[in-house]
Amino acid sequence: MALEGQSVSRLRKDLLQLLPLLGNPESVVSAFPSGDNMLEWTGTIKGGKGTVYDGKVYKLTLEFPSTYPIKPPVVKFMTPCYHPNVDQQGNICLDILKENWSSLYDVRTILLSIQVLLGEPNNDSPLNADAAKNWNKEVYKKALEKFEKEIAK
Amino acid sequence: MAIPVAPQPIQQPKSWELSLYELHRTPQEAITDGTEISISPRSLHSELMCPICLDMLKNTMTTKECLHRFCQECIITALRSGNKECPTCRKKLISKRSLRPDPNFDALIAKIYPDRDEYEAHQEKVLQRLNKHHNQQALTSSIEEGLKLQAINRAQRVRKRSSDDPLAVVTGNPGTPGTPGVTGQPPVGEAGSNVVRKRQKTSSDPESDASENTLDSTGETTAETSEPVNNWSLKPHPKDHDPETVAQQTRYIKTTANASVDHLAKYLAMRLALESQQDETGTNPSEEGNEVPQFTIYIASMPGQYTPLPGSMILDFVNEKYWKVNKPLEMYYALSKPQS
Repeated sequence: MALEGQSVSRLRKDLLQLLPLLGNPESVVSAFPSGDNMLEWTGTIKGGKGTVYDGKVYKLTLEFPSTYPIKPPVVKFMTPCYHPNVDQQGNICLDILKENWSSLYDVRTILLSIQVLLGEPNNDSPLNADAAKNWNKEVYKKALEKFEKEIAK
Repeated sequence: MAIPVAPQPIQQPKSWELSLYELHRTPQEAITDGTEISISPRSLHSELMCPICLDMLKNTMTTKECLHRFCQECIITALRSGNKECPTCRKKLISKRSLRPDPNFDALIAKIYPDRDEYEAHQEKVLQRLNKHHNQQALTSSIEEGLKLQAINRAQRVRKRSSDDPLAVVTGNPGTPGTPGVTGQPPVGEAGSNVVRKRQKTSSDPESDASENTLDSTGETTAETSEPVNNWSLKPHPKDHDPETVAQQTRYIKTTANASVDHLAKYLAMRLALESQQDETGTNPSEEGNEVPQFTIYIASMPGQYTPLPGSMILDFVNEKYWKVNKPLEMYYALSKPQS
C-alpha cells in the first residue's frame, strides 16, 4: 500500500516532466495515464527524422509495477511495429527496460530511449529475425547508393 | 610538467592518479561580502532532490566513490532489488558499506526548508490539482459556461468587485500595476470593468453550480475558500508588436492559484474582443464568442526566448517553474497560428 503510494507520487512527477511536451508539436514523445489508474499509461512516439521510421507514429502501453521506479515498467507497442527488437506481440527487447534499468529513468527518458532504438536497432539480439536480416540489407542498400553517388561525381 | 594521461583500459587496477577534472579544477572564490545570490526554487530543488523518488532528500546517503546522493530508503531499496550499481552513474556499489550518511546535507536542507513538511504538503497539493485538471474537455466547457454567465452578468450591469474571484484583471496604464480604476475607459470601462471578473468552475468544487446561480441572478459571489493569489503581467508578444505597443498594452492580472493557462488565454480573447467594440455597450459579448481568436500564452524563460505554455498548465505551477524576484511574472500573448 505504502509502496504503491510511492510509485504513484513518483509518476505524478514524471507527468510533470512531460507536461511541457504535451502541447508542443515538435516533441517526439508524449504520454498520459490511460484512465484513473495512475499505474497504466499510454504513450506515443514519432519515428526519428532521417530514419526509416520518419513520419510514423506509434502508440505504446506502459504498465508500472508498484515498486516503480526501483523496477522498470512493462512497455509494449500497441501499434504493430516492424523492427528487429520488437516482436509480433509488441514486446520490446531493450536493455534499459531489463537488466540495465536504473531508477533514475522516468517516463520521458524511457520513451526517448525507445524512440532512438527505432532508428538504431540492436541486431545482435533480434526478436524479429526477419526485420533484423532486412535491416542489414536496408543499410547495405543505402551504403551502396551513397557509394554510387560519389562515383558519379 | 607532463602528466601521463594515457587512455585508460577498462580493466585498469585501482590507482591514485588524478583525473583530468581533478587536475584542472580551480577553487571557487568564497563569498565573504554581503553579496546575495538568487537561486530559483526550481534549480535549488533539483540540487536538493533525490533522483530516485524526485522528492527532497530524506536521511541523505552519499556514495563513497562517486559522491551521488539519495534518500536512505530509496538507495537501500534499490540496492536490495539486485542492481548493485550507482543509479546515477552505474559505478559498482557492493553493499550498504559503499554508502555513508551525509548529516551535513540533511542539516543544509533543514536550514533552507525549516518548514519542510509544509513545503511538501504544498507540493503534494499542486500535484494533486494538476491531476484533477487533466480532463481538458471538461475544463474548457466549464470556462465557456463561466464566460456566458459573465456576459449575462455584464449585460445586467451589475458590477461588484470581489477578491475571491479566480481572475481579476486590471487593464492598462503602464506604471500602475495593480491599481484598479485608473484607466479612462469609455462606457464599458466604468469603475467596475477595470476589474473584470470571471468565474471558474473547478471539478473539485461541488458548490460551484450553486454559486454560479447566485452570480447569475444577483451578481454576487458567494465567498469561497481564500485561495492564494498570484500576480501576473501580460504583454503582447514582441514578434507581433513594436516595443511601444508592448509597453502600452501591458495588463496586470491577479489569479488564484488553480486557474490554468487556458483560462487566461480564453479570458484574454474575450477581453480583447470586448475592447475592440467598446462603444456598443449593449452587445452581448458571448455572441462574439465564436469568432474570438485563439491566443497562445508565452513565458520568457530566458530574455528574448519565448516558450509557449500548454493550456492545461495550472498557473500556480507556472509560478513555481518560472519564478522571478519581486515582480509579477511576465507572460506574453500572441495569436495562435491557424491549425495546419
